[in-house]
Amino acid sequence: MGRYLGLLSRQLRTSALLAAQYRWDFVVDGVVSLFFMATAIVPLFVVYGDASRPGIPGWSFGEALVVTGWFILLQGVLDGAVNPGLQAVIDHIRKGTLDFVLLKPADAQFLVSTARFQLWRVTSVVVALVVFVIAFSRVGRAPAVLDVAASLVLLVSATLLLYSLWILIVSAAFFVVKVDNLTYLFSSIFDAARWPSSVFPNVLRFVFTFVVPLALMTTFPAEAMLGRLESSALVGSLLGTLVFAAIARWTWLKAIGHYTSAGG
Amino acid sequence: MIEVQQLTKHYRVHKRPPGLAAALKSLFKREYTAVKAVDGITFDIKAGERVGFLGPNGAGKTTTLKTLAGLLHPSSGQVRVDGHVPQKREAEYLKKIMLVMGQKQQLLWDLPPAETFEMNRAIYDVPRADFTRRMKELGDLLELGELVNKPTRQLSLGERMKCELAAALVHGPKVLFLDEPTIGLDVSMQVVMRDFIRRYNEQYGATLILTSHYMDDVAALCPRVIVIDKGTLSFDGKLDDLVQKVRPEKRVTLRFSQPVTREQVSPLGQVVTCEGAQAVLQVSHDQVNSVVGRALATLPVMDLNVENPPLEEVMSELFARSRANREEQAA
Ligand SMILES: Nc1ncnc2c1ncn2[C@@H]1O[C@H](COP(=O)(O)OP(=O)(O)O)[C@@H](O)[C@H]1O
Ligand SMILES: [Mg+2]
Repeated sequence: MGRYLGLLSRQLRTSALLAAQYRWDFVVDGVVSLFFMATAIVPLFVVYGDASRPGIPGWSFGEALVVTGWFILLQGVLDGAVNPGLQAVIDHIRKGTLDFVLLKPADAQFLVSTARFQLWRVTSVVVALVVFVIAFSRVGRAPAVLDVAASLVLLVSATLLLYSLWILIVSAAFFVVKVDNLTYLFSSIFDAARWPSSVFPNVLRFVFTFVVPLALMTTFPAEAMLGRLESSALVGSLLGTLVFAAIARWTWLKAIGHYTSAGG
Repeated sequence: MIEVQQLTKHYRVHKRPPGLAAALKSLFKREYTAVKAVDGITFDIKAGERVGFLGPNGAGKTTTLKTLAGLLHPSSGQVRVDGHVPQKREAEYLKKIMLVMGQKQQLLWDLPPAETFEMNRAIYDVPRADFTRRMKELGDLLELGELVNKPTRQLSLGERMKCELAAALVHGPKVLFLDEPTIGLDVSMQVVMRDFIRRYNEQYGATLILTSHYMDDVAALCPRVIVIDKGTLSFDGKLDDLVQKVRPEKRVTLRFSQPVTREQVSPLGQVVTCEGAQAVLQVSHDQVNSVVGRALATLPVMDLNVENPPLEEVMSELFARSRANREEQAA
């Protein structure tokens, strides 16, 4: 355990050194991403700006903004920790250098997962906090401490979910030859998480809760923060996340087995 | 140390038929063909040995090394290295071995090699004191100096390869798998790499297998040679014996005090070249003495030299022969 913490700090250091080397690229990317985070709010203004429209049933403007806050936060996790690692694995597979990862006496999943971070993406946390403040001032009250605690638990499980989805996609990369578009596909699907899941028709809502659990990533934490998530949903989503993570791990091990037995 | 018995490795390759209709059909019903990359190889290597794998491209050298390193599962046969079954990839085993591939690199491209060394130290859990001492030794042997602090992308191919080797030795492995470590390097850098590899083997008693298609690497480094051709083992023994077997002739180079004609030289043996005052003859092993005697007696010889034919020629002849043999068998 201590060894893996040491390894993690090594990997973070590598990412930090890379960030320092390409400082200006990162500054530009940072500004661009701030812009995109700002635009994450725009669709809500479109929906709620016109008083004659009904808005989203069951969600006031302020409440929907809480979902947006979670979307921005999770988008930060996705772009900061998940996608860069996905890209790193895809590059490994393409260049045949995954062999070096598999030669190491450490868990290969851990090594590829922590290989790359876009550290400046922590700005997403700040932006999300600002959005939460605005949202709750619209709602007209502060969130209860217990509700915030519950939403933080869900943040951990949402991150784990996102990561497990990522592992599943990486595992697919071992079987599929053309993997260039996987990152893009992932990001496009994730875009649906910006809306409270109730805007989707029943079928999609089912998919986004149980198949590609986007609802668990943004809608559930938002509801927890607003104090209206049932505790059964909280427990259910935690258990679901664990199952999902276990499936992802199992698929990963299968994929590695396929890689070594088939011959890269 | 390394025991390999009847090792085979067949790759399953998805057949891509030509034509759109056939391609569509193959989406649903995939057909596979087996590429017999390694087809029944047996050998034993003792601790501390230096063994060279020789073979033309596609012979199965890399596949064999990757199987030994645990990166590929054998299709059949047994592989044991220092008591381990490589394909299990136990941490204890992985800490004993290293694999360097001339065509692939593990160094982080945008960062100095020192960062990769530190990363490997953390991964292999090498105590700080051991790490410092080993890096000092490696730095001296490979003359790394300030290279390790320059971003990898700024290093020449040779410098990068030296750092690749150092990165793969951070954990002090006792079994070294080197897959074409000198590929693309200029001659002087090849010599540096060879010297280093030999010294590392002598100093630490490490066992090593090296593949190369530069014969000189193998000749300079490996007392024992294993020839692999089309996935099968066609020779296992001393390099000299291999040369004897393939080309029992010697090369006799004669330098004269004045130009001679081909007609004057040809009675002595098979003439390889004859230009001005120098001639090269090919003479069978047991005839060398009498040919040299006759040359000294009949021609104005100033200087002479007897040696084995160039290794590259021996190799191309060896592989041409094995190809001919197979074609004969097939017919
Ligand atoms: N991943 C793979 N999938 C299918 N065939 C492969 C794969 N890797 C190697 N081969 C084939 O196996 C044979 C042996 O390859 P290799 O071991 O790389 O030879 P060498 O290293 O001696 O040049 C070749 O015919 C090569 O095309
Ligand atoms: Mg090869």
